[in-house]
Amino acid sequence: MKLLVCIKQILDPEIPVRDFSIDREKLEADSANANQVTNIFCENALETALQLRDSVGESSITVICFGRESAEDSLRKALAMKADEACLVMNDLNHTPDSATTAHVLASAIESLGSFDLIFTGRESGDWGNGQTGAYLAEELKVPYLPFVDDIKQTDKGFEVRRQTESGWERYGIPASSVVTITNSDHNLPRIPKTRDIMMSHRKTITRVSFEDLKIRKDELNPQSDSVRPVKLFVPEKESACEFIEGENLNAKIDQLADKIMEIRSTL
Amino acid sequence: MNPSDATREVLWNISNSWIMYALLLPTLLIAGNGILLRIKRWKKGRPVDRLDRPLERLQNVWRHAVLQRRTMRNRYAGIFHAFIFWGFITLTLATTVVFLHHDFGWQIMQGRFYLYFQSLFVDLLGLLALIGVGMAAWRRAFLQPRFLVQSSEATWILVLAFIILGTGFLLEGWRIAATDDPWGNWSPVGSLIATFSIHWMSVETMQFFHWGVWWFHLLLVFGFIAWAPYTKMLHPLTATLNIYAANLKPIGASLKTIDFESEESFGINRLDHFTWKDLMDLDACTECGRCTAVCPAATAGKSLSPRDIILDLREKSRISNKRETTFSDPIIGTAPSLSTESLWQCTSCAACVESCPVSIEQFPKIIDMRRFQVMEEAVFPEPMQQALASIESRGHPFSGSRFSRLDWTEGLNIPEIKDRPDAEVLVWTGCGGSLVERNQKSSRALTKILDRAGISYAILGREEKCTGDPARRMGNEFLFQELAKQNIQTFEKYKVKTVVTSCAHCFNTFRNEYPEQGGQFEVFHHSEYLKRLLDQGKLPMKSSSDRKITLHDPCYLSRHNHMTEDARSLLQQTSSQPLIELERNRQNSFCCGGGGGLSFTEEPSEQRVNRQRADEILKTDVDTVAVACPFCTTMLEDGINACKGSRDIKVKELSELILESLETEE
Ligand code: SF4
Ligand code: SF4
Repeated sequence: MKLLVCIKQILDPEIPVRDFSIDREKLEADSANANQVTNIFCENALETALQLRDSVGESSITVICFGRESAEDSLRKALAMKADEACLVMNDLNHTPDSATTAHVLASAIESLGSFDLIFTGRESGDWGNGQTGAYLAEELKVPYLPFVDDIKQTDKGFEVRRQTESGWERYGIPASSVVTITNSDHNLPRIPKTRDIMMSHRKTITRVSFEDLKIRKDELNPQSDSVRPVKLFVPEKESACEFIEGENLNAKIDQLADKIMEIRSTL
Repeated sequence: MNPSDATREVLWNISNSWIMYALLLPTLLIAGNGILLRIKRWKKGRPVDRLDRPLERLQNVWRHAVLQRRTMRNRYAGIFHAFIFWGFITLTLATTVVFLHHDFGWQIMQGRFYLYFQSLFVDLLGLLALIGVGMAAWRRAFLQPRFLVQSSEATWILVLAFIILGTGFLLEGWRIAATDDPWGNWSPVGSLIATFSIHWMSVETMQFFHWGVWWFHLLLVFGFIAWAPYTKMLHPLTATLNIYAANLKPIGASLKTIDFESEESFGINRLDHFTWKDLMDLDACTECGRCTAVCPAATAGKSLSPRDIILDLREKSRISNKRETTFSDPIIGTAPSLSTESLWQCTSCAACVESCPVSIEQFPKIIDMRRFQVMEEAVFPEPMQQALASIESRGHPFSGSRFSRLDWTEGLNIPEIKDRPDAEVLVWTGCGGSLVERNQKSSRALTKILDRAGISYAILGREEKCTGDPARRMGNEFLFQELAKQNIQTFEKYKVKTVVTSCAHCFNTFRNEYPEQGGQFEVFHHSEYLKRLLDQGKLPMKSSSDRKITLHDPCYLSRHNHMTEDARSLLQQTSSQPLIELERNRQNSFCCGGGGGLSFTEEPSEQRVNRQRADEILKTDVDTVAVACPFCTTMLEDGINACKGSRDIKVKELSELILESLETEE
């Protein structure tokens, strides 16, 4: 069985406030001083794939990432967690493309890698949180799609998956080759790699794929060709004010306070 | 009566003494076998260089085996131990004298030597040994300190020692009385027994009993000699060897370095992966329980017990010895003391190592086993996983911190080394000093002091990365070595020669662990560096405050590096009041609970080590607790705030106090 996991490297969600800034031209976060990490839902997706491989045996997992040079770290970590192959689709564009473009690039790369029995993505990424790449990818590949999955078993006809919903779980049978997006649950916490596997991960080669290899014309990928574009991007200014409530005694202060609260409520 | 004629008849009243010599042979064979078995076990360990620098090693043997300095730290036990030790040594010497005199015909047991040494001195030391045995028995039966191991072996040893000493005195007394020994008074205890016996017994009865008790005494002594190597009573030998082979480096340099290229398994989960010294440690343990008595985790009521780790490993090595092949069996999780839960409670404070009278290294073994859990099994507590993951991806262990490494410099004019490459010293702020809000104040204070002293310094800013101390102590040696390499590269890039840091952990790692990784620079803890500035007259401090200060010694200075006085000298300059010492101070200091990765975990409040230390501090009437490490600062502040009630007491970092007394100068 061949499994494929798409992962994304994002700006560390724990980035210190001081290091976070916005590139006003590109309308995206500036990554100059920022640390990059693997998106957590993508790690959940990899973990779910690893568990599926552990349960069926005789399978291989390929991890693919559309990202910058630094994404190699995320792929190495995936290899350390014991993915079998890793492929970096080099993004040397000037901007970060939207979900549809990303899915298009990924789909071309996946097709060039061969066919897979199941394709995993994280349910969304911690930077923009759009949660659309999986769906677009299924569309591009013309295969069935199921989001918010947290558990997968192999069956005769394909897979039985469990999907998280607001009110509980749903179980579905899905055919092979589908795309699933994985959400987090307490049984797909990403595993800690063993040291020997970390060491081995540095000896493996990561396949690099460029736009040329995929016959994608770079000049067609620009902010204008994206279907969704942010209009404005800024760090919200937080204002806080402090006011002391005066009053003769406690009761008077409480009255004052109550009035104040009512007053603020009416302005909201 | 001429004293130069004084002597006594050897083997008086004893015929067929050849039986004694015949019995001696099997006795020595059995004892020798016991010793050989142990040596065979040690040889299963890995090599380690512990026989270099013989002079220093002999000095250690003199101090700790002969003079028993460490044993003496515990008054009661130290005294009775010395009584028994010196008593038995003297009795053994006396027996050797008899042997040389009688069997070798050396004729030494006579004259003044016979009177002063062989009679008086031996008699008195024998009495002290008897008193010692009594004190030990009293302690076992009534005082019962909390961490004493009660075993039937220990009881039997005391009973045997008591009977051997007691029968020895009876034999002496009866001989003096029956032979009407003219020099009998030189053996006070013997002559006392002689005086009593004469009242109760005829000379014939005494002779009869003497004969019977003599053989009984002999059998007991031989039995004891044969049995001892199979019990903890081998420790006079193993302890001496162990003290000889002790770690001569600072405790802070006692963790093993793993060569990741050649090692086939990382960390330790089988006996034969320990070094021979580690295995000898097991046989040297006297079960005294001092290590567990001072262990902060144990006293906080957790399951960790360094003594039990040693004893349980010893038990395994003995069983393994019988089955020969099993030195390779897994050890982690096979006894309560070796449970993964216990192994993760250690703060790496080294109180166990410091307290052990026979130079056993308990906590490095804990780290060895943690390494196995982290690097081979990848199973360890979740908060530590988070801390390590954060070090891996962000270069610091404080997952969730919103600060950058430069936030603390806000509003101050602190140069980064890239802008001041010729700076005299590099101030290493450390993760704790820059990313934890409380410590940012102390970090600022240190730079202000350096400004005042006119020192040209710089910081690394964003280029700083965790030194690897927490990673190493949490068992991730691989990550530690990676970080060390990266930091050393950064130092080399800026040609850093001198580093000053206020973090005791960073300091220890730089000083004791980086040289092995190729780090070639000089490092000072800020207490050390500021003391130098004080001596050079660069710190015009004025002790105008009247704070009542006590100092909490950080483990990584006091025990890991035996550095305790610089901070004290500095503090004395900050207040008009004398410095107040805590009950546990200097190398006996008690951990704040933050080392070994434990500051990243949450514990039930009644098990928190910092609360214990806070209670101890609150027993004094101080108003200021001085600390000299960012981990101590936050751990103790939490502890004190939780326990102080309405009392006005502050935790202050050394730099903060010094800065205060510099400011009053203006
Ligand atoms: S290092 Fe400290 S916490 Fe760890 S076992 Fe020894 S005494 Fe206990
Ligand atoms: S390890 Fe040392 S301190 Fe601990 S019980 Fe044994 S001899 Fe005593």
